[in-house]
Amino acid sequence: MEAKRDWAGYVWAAVATGACTAAGFAMRSRFDLVNIAMVYLLAVVVIALRHSRGAAIAAAVLCVATFDFLFVPPEGAFSIDDAQYLLTFAIMLAVALVISNLTRNVRRQAGEQAALAVEAETERIRSALLASISHDLRTPLAVMTGASSTLAEHGERLEAAERQALARSVFEQSREMSAHVAKVLQMTRLETGAMQIERDWVSLAEVSASVLDRLSTTLAGHRVMMELATDLPLVRVDAGLIEQALGNLLENAARHTPAGTVVRLMAQRQGGEIVVSVEDYGGGLPEGDVERVFAKFHRGSVEGGGSGMGLGLAISRSIVRLHGGRAWAERVPAGGTVFRFALPFEAPPTMPAEPATS
Amino acid sequence: MADARGTILVIEDESEIRRFLRASLGAEGYRVAESATGRRGMIDAGTHKPDMAIVDLGLPDCDGVEVIRAIREWSSMPILVLSARALERAKIEALDAGADDYVTKPFAVGELLARVRAALRNVARPGGGGRVLSFGRTSLDLERRKASRDGAEVRLTPIEFRLLGALARRLGMVATHRQLLTEVWGPTHAADTHYLRIYMKQLRDKLEDDPARPRYLVTDTGIGYRLLADDPP
Repeated sequence: MEAKRDWAGYVWAAVATGACTAAGFAMRSRFDLVNIAMVYLLAVVVIALRHSRGAAIAAAVLCVATFDFLFVPPEGAFSIDDAQYLLTFAIMLAVALVISNLTRNVRRQAGEQAALAVEAETERIRSALLASISHDLRTPLAVMTGASSTLAEHGERLEAAERQALARSVFEQSREMSAHVAKVLQMTRLETGAMQIERDWVSLAEVSASVLDRLSTTLAGHRVMMELATDLPLVRVDAGLIEQALGNLLENAARHTPAGTVVRLMAQRQGGEIVVSVEDYGGGLPEGDVERVFAKFHRGSVEGGGSGMGLGLAISRSIVRLHGGRAWAERVPAGGTVFRFALPFEAPPTMPAEPATS
Repeated sequence: MADARGTILVIEDESEIRRFLRASLGAEGYRVAESATGRRGMIDAGTHKPDMAIVDLGLPDCDGVEVIRAIREWSSMPILVLSARALERAKIEALDAGADDYVTKPFAVGELLARVRAALRNVARPGGGGRVLSFGRTSLDLERRKASRDGAEVRLTPIEFRLLGALARRLGMVATHRQLLTEVWGPTHAADTHYLRIYMKQLRDKLEDDPARPRYLVTDTGIGYRLLADDPP
């Protein structure tokens, strides 16, 4: 803080001295000089607590000078020769120095603790990523190794249908795995700040349609209802990233609710935000989980659930935050959960109207 | 396999990837030539005179985009790009450098073959604009500027026709935002993607069976659009 001159601190020192002086004039008729000195001392304490040591010393000097000049007889002149007021000055200076030093130590410790917390968080994410890799990749790898080696070694002795089924399972598992690896990489990029967003004017209706196409297999068992406001404005976002954010919410709904249930995809403008929601009717999360669900991965728990559980939601939240938005979950009274994200609304540019043609 | 369906040059450094491309393209009846480096690929493209090139963007000796530019200097053969990069920018750069379409690694072979077929079909019917297209309940005569749904005329504006024309020239293949904006509105509007959002919505409202879930005027998120039409009978 003291490295780059705390000018605001000096200004506040002057302001505080002025305020004390005003208080001193108001008190003068009814209070002893000692009490007025106390008011000045209070100002020095406050400046020392909130600002740099330089500002605290300045406050001490200003306060003593003003006090001496305006209140100590003879008023309107300096008379430091009085030993009493020299003592006042010494005490104020000492208070300023002691408090500044204490404050500085406290600040330094807080800084160190914050740095440690960031380090711990990074470490937790790293280990959660590793846990996720080993948890979610082990099964597909085992299937792929087993099925492909069966094909390589016994292929000619198998029925055609059996060969086909083994090859297909290698294909499906590898696709699953590559989707998961992509998520892990994406999370790593987001967490290390290596992600650059390229904003563009984007239609959420288009993004929704293409994400539903991409996830048509995953969502095949559910009844998806798309309910986008007809006057939904364009949003200035990174289309690819927002598609992922939305896709992860839909995938999450498909994975964690029973087949045959409804999944609603909604979007509308609400004041200064565009709110996108994915609502499911899968019975809902327990009370506490609603608040924590987006942070699940961050807590480092990857137990249970389907593959990539939590990772997808954490990615969605990071993407939305990168766009200056927010993501949260709510319980649906009918027994379900709604996952929402909100993006800041920006007025889209206009385009010249095309002349009407006959 | 007496007369192959055409020769495809595969410029890809990973031998395992060349192996399955050789197998699947061969099984579809294409003749396959292979180059393991970009420099070799630029030479092979001249000597083998392939009907099409498949270029990996992650070549070790030079950038795939360089290879595309080199081929484009003398040939208009379709170029399909293989991109392992999740970043859209690399694909867009390759497409704007003259590639016709892309497939992102890892890909299923069915997807690749569909792109190859679309690219070669487009060569067989150059121009794209001079014929009648049909998709869903819509039919479109770009030359006579007529569109209809279930036989009833649909009014399209001149810009809507121009946009459809630009998409139809790359039937089944992707057209980047920049390409469409430049061709329809001119180079000064190359970055005005909101124009495209608005006009694509208008076209879908007029021509798609379910405009909210388009099947023919589809979005390649972050890259561009493509027009898919029914195969001619």
